[in-house]
Amino acid sequence: MAASLVRFVRGGLGRSFNVARTSCVLQQQARLQSSTTETSPTVRPKDAVTHNQLAAFGEYVSEMMPKYIQQVQVTCYNELEVMIHPDGVIPVLTFLRDHTNAQFRNMTDLTAVDIPTRQNRFEIVYNLLSLRFNSRIRIKTYTDELTPVDSAVPVHMAANWYEREVWDMFGVFFSNHPDLRRILTDYGFEGHPFRKDFPLSGYVEVRYDDEVKRVVAEPVELSQEFRKFDLNTPWEVFPAHRESKEAAPKLEAGEAPEKK
Amino acid sequence: MASSAATRAAASTAKVVKPILSRDLDEAKRRVRELYRAWYREVPNTVSLFQLDITTRQGRDKVKEMFDKNKHVTDPRVIDMLVIKGKMELQETINVWKQKTHVMRYFHETEEPRPTDFLSKFYRGHDP
Amino acid sequence: MLRLPTVGRALAGAAKSSLAASSTVRTPVRAASNMVEVFVDGKPVEVEPGTTVLQACEKAGIQIPRFCYHERLSVAGNCRMCLVEIEKAPKPVAACAMPVMKGWNILTNSEKTRKAREGVMEFLLANHPLDCPICDQGGECDLQDQSMQFGSDRSRFSEGKRAVEDKNIGPLIKTIMTRCIQCTRCVRFASEIAGVEDLGTTGRGNNLQIGTYVEKMFMSELSGNVIDVCPVGALTSKPYAFTARPWETRKTESIDVLDAVGSNILVSTRGGEVMRVMPRLNEDVNEEWISDKTRFAYDGLKRQRLTVPMVKDDSGQLTVTTWEDALTRVAGALQSVQGSEVAAIAGGMADAEALVSLKDLLNRLNSESLCTEELFPMSGAGSDLRSNYLLNSRIAGIEESDLLLLVGTNPRYEAPLFNARIRKSWLHNELRVAMVGHNVDLSYTYDHLGEETAVLKELANGTHPFCQVLSAAKRPVVVVGSSALQRDDGAGILSAVSAIAQNARTSSGVEEGWKVLNVLHRVASQVAALDLGYKAGVDAIRNNPPKVLFLLGADAGCITRADLPKDSLIIYQGHHGDAGAPMADIILPSAAYTEKNATYVNTEGRSQHTRVAVTPPGMAREDWKIIRAVSELAGVALPYDSVEEVRSRLAEVSPNLVRYDDVEEANYFKQANELAQAVNQDLLAAPLVPPQLTAKDFYMTDSISRASQTMAKCVKAVTEGAAAVDEPSVC
Repeated sequence: MAASLVRFVRGGLGRSFNVARTSCVLQQQARLQSSTTETSPTVRPKDAVTHNQLAAFGEYVSEMMPKYIQQVQVTCYNELEVMIHPDGVIPVLTFLRDHTNAQFRNMTDLTAVDIPTRQNRFEIVYNLLSLRFNSRIRIKTYTDELTPVDSAVPVHMAANWYEREVWDMFGVFFSNHPDLRRILTDYGFEGHPFRKDFPLSGYVEVRYDDEVKRVVAEPVELSQEFRKFDLNTPWEVFPAHRESKEAAPKLEAGEAPEKK
Repeated sequence: MASSAATRAAASTAKVVKPILSRDLDEAKRRVRELYRAWYREVPNTVSLFQLDITTRQGRDKVKEMFDKNKHVTDPRVIDMLVIKGKMELQETINVWKQKTHVMRYFHETEEPRPTDFLSKFYRGHDP
Repeated sequence: MLRLPTVGRALAGAAKSSLAASSTVRTPVRAASNMVEVFVDGKPVEVEPGTTVLQACEKAGIQIPRFCYHERLSVAGNCRMCLVEIEKAPKPVAACAMPVMKGWNILTNSEKTRKAREGVMEFLLANHPLDCPICDQGGECDLQDQSMQFGSDRSRFSEGKRAVEDKNIGPLIKTIMTRCIQCTRCVRFASEIAGVEDLGTTGRGNNLQIGTYVEKMFMSELSGNVIDVCPVGALTSKPYAFTARPWETRKTESIDVLDAVGSNILVSTRGGEVMRVMPRLNEDVNEEWISDKTRFAYDGLKRQRLTVPMVKDDSGQLTVTTWEDALTRVAGALQSVQGSEVAAIAGGMADAEALVSLKDLLNRLNSESLCTEELFPMSGAGSDLRSNYLLNSRIAGIEESDLLLLVGTNPRYEAPLFNARIRKSWLHNELRVAMVGHNVDLSYTYDHLGEETAVLKELANGTHPFCQVLSAAKRPVVVVGSSALQRDDGAGILSAVSAIAQNARTSSGVEEGWKVLNVLHRVASQVAALDLGYKAGVDAIRNNPPKVLFLLGADAGCITRADLPKDSLIIYQGHHGDAGAPMADIILPSAAYTEKNATYVNTEGRSQHTRVAVTPPGMAREDWKIIRAVSELAGVALPYDSVEEVRSRLAEVSPNLVRYDDVEEANYFKQANELAQAVNQDLLAAPLVPPQLTAKDFYMTDSISRASQTMAKCVKAVTEGAAAVDEPSVC
């Protein structure tokens, strides 16, 4: 993330997006070029053309939906990411699905990330694919344990089970979901295993009990200690020479498209 | 980074809480009562359907106990979340997606109570 | 080695700054007049004249990378890693060796500085093997860390690397000399701190090698510290080799109990097993060193352990049983006899919690016969006055004194860290040391006054020629070894030493707070036991044999079956099957010091506590819990269920025991002396010979170190030479 190039959305650049079609060819050319010119193989070659195309499309999208899109960025691996407000899930997904120059009709993945330090600890991630333009896009939004997110099922049928999975693993509630129930965990399972505060060992362990003739669950008792890695060196360290993590420029919500 | 900006966006709008289902506490309480009623009615069915070795009375006591466990909750959104989960449990029970083991898990039959006096703790193991 | 010249001492940095309180009082006066102002990256810093560039940067909060510089050793200036640019200077200077001048601007992160570091790193790595994946230092290696931070990210090196033959310097330290970067920290440690001239350099330039000149063992009781001092993986721990990585171990801060110094240690554990023991910084006790026994005896914690309760059956065989059975038998035995027929002996590694609960248990059974194995004269002030049995001057206090008289002790092996302090003071502060007792090698020179007790008498009544030196001393310290007090004339010796101390005190005219009389203990439990009111010595038990004898980790073998009536019952509670367990009728397995939260008081009277690093093996339990369980079954339940409650009981009996890391000042020296003079015991003619004379006596002194294979190898290596324990090396 630190290395990702954040591109802010600017207005007044009415540029239409139809270059994505050729991006594949361009990308390959760029890679061929870079392999000949770049001497150090450990450094990832920069692909400026694809990068610019994605950035331009990102700007275009955010220009079209200024109300919901808070930030657009292209990562170092040339992936376009669009950060949206949770209210905008349906409109943005619908727009991306139906717009002629986007046509992201395929929801390849929907998942969540738990970052407990944040106020809105869950990041919901939608990965979309446009077969028409051979292009991918990632939509990100956020929520906390109690705020429901609009279900994406009306837009993409594929979201059905993904949302059930996110509900099961993270406990994020999707409103208007047609069939929201557990999908991976056992009936009677308590808690959401992908939350960071869920213990690695779980709360219960199950075994077959011969007396009651069924499987029983009991509070877990650990017979083996956790492997915990201590990565700080015990010797001298040089805090003064540690490079501080480069703080990427941040965008306050709401102010983005209008001001610039 | 991107979503920390997003986080701040939420902070500004956090005052207006988006309800899950209920708009106020009364509505949430109504939902709880509905759920309780549904569970209460379902217990005899469950006992016979799963061929449980308990009486209906015991089952209803357990339902009451499970509801009482969360009686301190006052936030309507938290109540809603619990009601949603309770409904899902009920659905799993009614449709017999659960098995006997899942239903009986509420009763903790095989768990040994943890020792409380010094000597039994001493005999049991290292931890107090 | 010879004492350092004054110039070298001025540079010895931290050693100097942590010295006497009196000198720190003086500094501000001087400071105001001639402080030097220098700039570190443009930030002004006021430092004393003579401060090095590196220390000035440290004061400004900037650490300079270094390999050869170590704040407790003299400055060598040979690794060149600390090169920094000084503004307007023609070339970079070595920060560790260069004193600052007024107005210098030190650039710690300039282009030139970084370039210099990168260049030095390139040279260091030219001959350093790329074997980090199989190197034991990996993860805690200064070279690794600093090459990541200051080195270049690619290599232009294509030549061959130099290789150096490994040396066998004993069973503790593994050498992989190809990894050596010639910082000479180990050489300086050996000659300055440890006081043995075993290590040195041979050859020049690319052929420079560290070694012992001829193949021999690195003979020092502090030798293990070179492992910590070594910035690379050239010197690593032999027992720890290839067993664990530093990042996968858990570190527990704890206290060492194998001697009475109470060194602060860090216990590294992985998967419920102690992997190694490392020192923890405590300026008042062990600085950053620990003795070899502390560091390497941990493998004794895995061998010869008592893991299950055992009782003797009809045929006289010890058989395994359950806790219920063993405890019921103990409780039955305690109930079946009169209180006066029960006695207890506490061993050298008993913790204060166990001691207080055992005392409470026996007191509830109407018994008062609680003894420690270690003898201490009970006539005179005995253990009534705390000043009588403590190292009152404290370990760090030795650095302030100018004359030290040792009586009947060999601090080098009884308390290696205390000896290191004496040596430090001898080296830097012109401390004069004299000794009454066996002529042993203490790693520094001293006036040997003889080993006859007659010398003590002469010193006490002022007829010995050394008395003039003693009376001329400004801050005298007299230390008597606890081994000298084990003799039958212990009270007489203590009385004589007390008189010497009192005379020296009055003649020196030192201020009231200065303590002269000191006792150096050998076992960790003694001070706490005496604080809690245990009787020192087992004479009472020998004279009045009990029917039930409770041994709390008593492994010195003071009492044998022969001393007791035939039908008496012996209960042994401890962690090792050593001397005490074989003669016991009932064995209760307990936890060793790495397995319990326990309080220990060191010879200074400093109370410190260990922490649980691993769980006790098998069915072993913490000591106080066993006694608490026995008390409940015997019908006299002790009123505490948790370690906090035991500690509040400790606080009731002796509040200083739970004031951790705090030394309670002892006083009443005059009264103690008066009481001691009332003792009219004639001194025996036998010479004062401490039991630990040479290195081979040092390694195995208690149940843990006697069970340790590493320590056994050390003894073998010391007696038969390092080659005798040579193992086929894996790498």
